[in-house]
Amino acid sequence: MAKRLRTTGRRIRISFAVIAAGALLGLAGALLAFKLGMGGPVASTGDDLAAGGARVATGPFRAVEGTLQRVGLMWNAAGRVQALEAENRDLRVWRELAGRLAERNERYEALLRMPPDAFGAGADLRDAIAAQLVMDSGGPFTRTLVANAGAEHGVRVGFIALNEHGLVGRVVSVGTHSSRVLLLDDYNSRIPVMGAQSRVRALLRGEASNPPNLLTRPVEAASPRLDFFSQGLREGETIITSGDGGLFPRGLKVGAATRDRDGQWRVALAASQQAIDFVRLAPYEPQDAPERSSEAPAADTPVAAATPANAAETQTTTPAPRPQTAAPAAAPGPLATAEAAANEPAPRPTLASAPGQPPKPRAEPQRAGQPRLGQ
Amino acid sequence: MIALFAPGARRGAARTAGLVLAIATVILPALPLGPIVAQPPMPLGVLWAAYGWAADDDGTWRRPALLFTLGLLHDQMAGGPYGLFAALYLLTFLLGRSFAAIMSAPTLASIWGGFIATTAATTLAAMFLAPIAFGKGASAMQFAQAAAVTALFFPLVRSLYMNTGPTQRALQGARR
Repeated sequence: MAKRLRTTGRRIRISFAVIAAGALLGLAGALLAFKLGMGGPVASTGDDLAAGGARVATGPFRAVEGTLQRVGLMWNAAGRVQALEAENRDLRVWRELAGRLAERNERYEALLRMPPDAFGAGADLRDAIAAQLVMDSGGPFTRTLVANAGAEHGVRVGFIALNEHGLVGRVVSVGTHSSRVLLLDDYNSRIPVMGAQSRVRALLRGEASNPPNLLTRPVEAASPRLDFFSQGLREGETIITSGDGGLFPRGLKVGAATRDRDGQWRVALAASQQAIDFVRLAPYEPQDAPERSSEAPAADTPVAAATPANAAETQTTTPAPRPQTAAPAAAPGPLATAEAAANEPAPRPTLASAPGQPPKPRAEPQRAGQPRLGQ
Repeated sequence: MIALFAPGARRGAARTAGLVLAIATVILPALPLGPIVAQPPMPLGVLWAAYGWAADDDGTWRRPALLFTLGLLHDQMAGGPYGLFAALYLLTFLLGRSFAAIMSAPTLASIWGGFIATTAATTLAAMFLAPIAFGKGASAMQFAQAAAVTALFFPLVRSLYMNTGPTQRALQGARR
């Protein structure tokens, strides 16, 4: 009798555990169905709490790591100084060459009456907020990171995230003290990009596990860019954001084009050259299309006034000569700062074969008939 | 001092170590502690806990509740919607419960085989749930890799999550 009671009691307890698990499973399913925790206030609060905990947890580790790094750097300081001096000599030669090419480039642009380059336009890197990475993506499904700057510091959803090497991603949710950045290799990341030299347009598609996949995009058949079809990407070519879609400014460095064993084009992300520790979160306002811009000619403006020749006469589009110290392809617009050059959003100085950046046809229709000297 | 070496105390210490290990596998990959910790795929330690706790089920709500909490923590750390990992861990618990009821005299091979089957079923569930959670195109491939690593290391950590002594085996058999 006693044995039967014990067995019955055990069965009741087991059933209760299974019932509890089933009920909680249903609750988890309901949470999942409502996607609670995807950019909402609950997730932002959770990110704040987790970021605070992560800061505390990683503090001692970072301190020890920094000390060890300093000790390691002191160990071979003399050799490093010699190497840096040699590199500095090389870089001076390159800087001189880059300056000459920049002047030549500007003369060509002046001859062609090219409008100012739109690289980085819309992004305000001077007001970028520097933040430290406190959490990496801890799951097998997503590729995100949490930085320790949030709404309190002025970060908003849609800010672009960069580090010293290139584009990192985009802010997708913001808490009070933290913000979550969607990395370029996340499944949900689709970035319009282009080759800095070949001008081939492509879509960068993240795969979470592998380097981002580069899908060459067959752009509109009627588009002038159809002639880029005959050209392919070049191995090792710098990939930059194209600015299409309005999520990122044009010209931010993304990485270098590579081919895997299957012949699939991929991008070795520039931002991932080293472990991402600090990021800069920069505001970005996409540029309006001409028909929505207030500076666009009115509907009753004579057609002749919008012809390329007249536009060139009425606008001072010739960029002023830049000092030799400036990066050759730094943005002469609102981003023509050393800061922008430091972020390397523009192509390398070796882009001498590209005298100008072919503008987007929608934004600069007046250049549709100009020859492509750079192609 | 002698009490520390008693079977009950040893079991308690092992359980605590197992819980700490499970929490560590949730938290550590999310912390920027260098390439070794961040190197994927890290094992999903909560799967060990879910399966082991299901085999040694004490019949209370505490273990499912703890698994649910660990799942929510993992969801938070991973940046995904709440409920995904909680559902996967509870599903593992329920599957583990079923396997424990089926096995009359489990051996290491059968327990390991049961865990492999459970993680495979959980991976299938992840393949179904990932597109719901993250949208079309989301893949559970990395989860499958992590689950495979988890299954590979299971015999090494089994004693932290379930009783391995002969007495308990007989009890598990009696449960049937």
